[in-house]
Amino acid sequence: MVQSPDAALDREQLAQWLTLSGRGDESAFAKLYEHSSSKLYGVCLRMLRDRGEAEDTLQEVFTTVWRRASSFDASKASAMTWLITLSRNKSIDRLRKRREAVGDDSMIDGFADDAPTPPSHAQTSQDHQRLDHCLDELEDKHRSAVREAFFSGATYNELADRCSVPLGTMKSWIRRSLIKLRTCLER
Amino acid sequence: MTTTTDTNGHEKLRGAEYVLGVLDAEQRREVERQLREDPELAAAVEAWQERLAPLAEEIAATQPAAYVWPRILAELGLGGSVMARSAPEPTASGGLWNNLRLWHWIGIGASTVAAACLVLLVTLPRPTPSPAPTPVQTASTPPPTTFMVAKIEQNNGIAGWTATMDVTHHRMILVPATPQAIADNRSTQLWLIPPGHKPISVGVFTPDKTNSMDLPLTLVKQLSDKALLAVSLEPKGGSPTGQPTGPVIAKGSIGGA
Repeated sequence: MVQSPDAALDREQLAQWLTLSGRGDESAFAKLYEHSSSKLYGVCLRMLRDRGEAEDTLQEVFTTVWRRASSFDASKASAMTWLITLSRNKSIDRLRKRREAVGDDSMIDGFADDAPTPPSHAQTSQDHQRLDHCLDELEDKHRSAVREAFFSGATYNELADRCSVPLGTMKSWIRRSLIKLRTCLER
Repeated sequence: MTTTTDTNGHEKLRGAEYVLGVLDAEQRREVERQLREDPELAAAVEAWQERLAPLAEEIAATQPAAYVWPRILAELGLGGSVMARSAPEPTASGGLWNNLRLWHWIGIGASTVAAACLVLLVTLPRPTPSPAPTPVQTASTPPPTTFMVAKIEQNNGIAGWTATMDVTHHRMILVPATPQAIADNRSTQLWLIPPGHKPISVGVFTPDKTNSMDLPLTLVKQLSDKALLAVSLEPKGGSPTGQPTGPVIAKGSIGGA
């Protein structure tokens, strides 16, 4: 069975399933899983780079969805944003635990070369196109740092190591980029 | 180096840093604690989530393994989408769902179930509108099959493994129940035996761990309630001939819609 790509999915339908899941509707919960799990698993897998850990995290995401979907407010956030945020937070927390346990064993020699590349605009939402446009206004290395942070869940320290720049420099790059992004997106 | 000029701006940036994911564990907990007391920070975090989440569109969707959904249902104690055909042993307490929980989730409950083979059909809703799934009691109206589950029993009658086959996505998960100890110089190999056919190798597996295996289409086509799964003891690395060469130490029927 081919899963519906989130881009093609009706936002309202997803929000409805999420809202109904919050009220204990199991069949809506199953629909929600069917239509969002491959996207969310992709997010977890991208950050954790380990199928087993990504599966465990996806399980944690959906058990949390079932228990906390009642806190989802369709008037304040899109369902996919809510789900992606939850998936990223669970993945980041797991990354932090892993690094406490074994130390950071990920690549330290620059950024991963398999970072997603921006898809053509025809395939992405207007929100993505706007963000992409604003990212384009950043200096190249700043943009790379922001993208790497988002996709890998790396801390300031890890980003500084990977880029071989002092911690203060990395913090400055990221913070300046965030301020510029906010200004650009609010234009 | 500070790039913000006022406290307010800095706090909002803290929210952005939290959403982007650059803070360490301790800093994250601190932000989460503040979020509960500071509506302004909470609003900033929500705004940054909306701003940055579109980046996730660049990440390719990847189908998770078929057993993740049953594991989620098991953890939550939900069973609304689970259907059964061949009934479990009537004396098995707790009913079908408990069996599913045990089989899928920890894999040790199978030995307590007397039934030689239990077929569970778990249906994920289809994209097309359809009525809510209801338990199917007869073989005349088989539901769409996504999973088949079979117990692989050892010669001593104790379940060695449970196999869950995802027909749709061509995957199998093999979970140890109470497998016998295997000598270090031997490998366990799983075989599918369609009725009237020679065994077809599914693959060598680690007997005491959960194994996730691909099911090539040629194998999926042979899955039926007349087919058997069998485990043989082979030289390290698997049968050199493509057919079982050692003793069969466990077997079990599988079923399908």
